[in-house]
Amino acid sequence: MSEKNREGKRNAREKMQEVRAAEEARTRRNKKLGVVGVVAAVIAVAAVVGVVVQNQRSKPETPTAAPVGTIGDKNLVIPSGPANAPSVLTVYEDPRCPACGAFERTYAPTVDQLEDQGKLYVNYHIVSFIDRSLSGKGSKSGANALGCAQDAGHFRDLHDVLYRNQPEETSDAFGGSATLIGLAKQVNGLDTPAFEACVKDNKYGGWVSSVQQDFDKTSYKSTPTVLLNGKPVYPKNGEEQITPENLVKWVDAANQGKPLGTTGPGKESPAPTTTAPVSNTPPSP
Amino acid sequence: MASQTVESPAGIGPALRRVVDGPAAEWAGLAVRLALAAVWGWAGLAKISDPAEAAQAVRAYEILPESLVKPVGYGLPFLEVAVALLLVIGLGVRAVAVVSAVLLLTFIGGISSAWARGISIDCGCFGGGGAVDASKTEYLQEILRDCGFLLLAAWLVFRPRTKLSADAWLAAA
Repeated sequence: MSEKNREGKRNAREKMQEVRAAEEARTRRNKKLGVVGVVAAVIAVAAVVGVVVQNQRSKPETPTAAPVGTIGDKNLVIPSGPANAPSVLTVYEDPRCPACGAFERTYAPTVDQLEDQGKLYVNYHIVSFIDRSLSGKGSKSGANALGCAQDAGHFRDLHDVLYRNQPEETSDAFGGSATLIGLAKQVNGLDTPAFEACVKDNKYGGWVSSVQQDFDKTSYKSTPTVLLNGKPVYPKNGEEQITPENLVKWVDAANQGKPLGTTGPGKESPAPTTTAPVSNTPPSP
Repeated sequence: MASQTVESPAGIGPALRRVVDGPAAEWAGLAVRLALAAVWGWAGLAKISDPAEAAQAVRAYEILPESLVKPVGYGLPFLEVAVALLLVIGLGVRAVAVVSAVLLLTFIGGISSAWARGISIDCGCFGGGGAVDASKTEYLQEILRDCGFLLLAAWLVFRPRTKLSADAWLAAA
C-alpha cells in the first residue's frame, strides 16, 4: 500500500515535471516565434515606409515648371535653331561628361552653322547622371543654369561656353553657382539679377530631375547620344565615322529637295521666340 | 600508436567545441553581427538620398518589369537599414541572418546575370548604379565582396548566440 502510494507520488511528480518542461519549451518556442514575427514585421514595415517616403520625396516625372520655350509633351527638351528646318538633331548630353565636352568642342561650330543656315533644328536633352557615379552636383547645377539661360534667350551661347570651359570630370566645379555665373559673364546680356537668382535658387531643379528620369527610361546608356532625324550618328553613322564634314554631308543629303528653315536675325539663338507648337519627336527616317 | 591517433581528435574535439561555443565565440559573433550591420547600414543609407538614382540602379539590371522598378528601388534601402538596426540590437539574429543571406544571394544572382548577359552596369550596391562604360564594370569584385558578406551572414545563421544582444537578454528574462 505504502509502496504503491510512494510510486504514485513519484509518478505524479514526474508528470508535473514533464508538464512544466513542456510548458517551458512552449514558452521558449512562443518567444522565438514572437521574435521572428517582430523581425518580419519590422522589415515589412520598413520596406513599405520606404516606398511611401521615397514616392513623396522623388521629383515628378512631369516638371511643375520648365524653362521658357521648351518643347515636347513634358517640356523637357530645349530647342535650338529654326523649328521648321528639314532635319532634326537630337542630342543627349551631360554638362559634366567629358565625351560630351569633346563632342561639343569639335562639333559646336558646325552644328551652330547648320542651324544658322536653316538646315538643322537641334533638340537638346540636358541630362545629369554623372553626379550619381562621381558624386557632387555639377551636372544638375550646370543643367539648371542652362535652363536659366534658355529663359533669357541665351541657351546656345551658355551651352557652348560651358563646354569650352568644362572642368575635369572628377572636379565638381559646375556645382558652385559662382563658377557658373562667372562663365555666364562671357555671354553678352546673360548675367542679370534674374539669371543669377535662377542659378543660385536652383530654379529648375525639378525640371532637371524630370529630364534625367526621362533619359533613364530610354534605351540610351551613355552620353553624348546624338541622333540625326532619329538615327544614331555618334560615334558612327552606320559604317561611317562622324566628322564635321561628314555631319554636314549627312544633313545636306537628308535635306535634299526640302525647303530650308527660317533663320532668325543675326547669330543669336532664336530658340525662345520659337513659340510655334512643335513636336520633339523626330521624323522617322 | 593507433590508439593515440584516435584519441587526439577526441581530446581536441571538446576543446574546440568550447572555443566555438564559449564566450569567446559569442564575442566574435558580436563582431560579425556589428560588421554585417555596418554593411547593411552603409548600403541602405547610400541609396536613400536620390530616389530616382536608386530606381535607375534597379532598372539597369533589366530584370524587373518597369512597374516593380520604383517599389524595389524605393523600398530596398529602407529594408536594408531595418536589417542593420535589427543586427545592432541583436534581435532575432538567426532570422535576420537568414534574410541577409537571401538578399545577398539575390544580389549575387543579379550581378552574375548582368555579367552573363553582357550588359555594362555598376551594381549600385552602395549607391550609384546604372549603366557604365564596359571598361568600368567590376562584376568579379562585386560578387567576391558579396560572398564575403555572405560568410558573415552564414556565421550568424549557424552561431546566432552573440554577446550584448536583445536575444540573450530575452532568453534570460
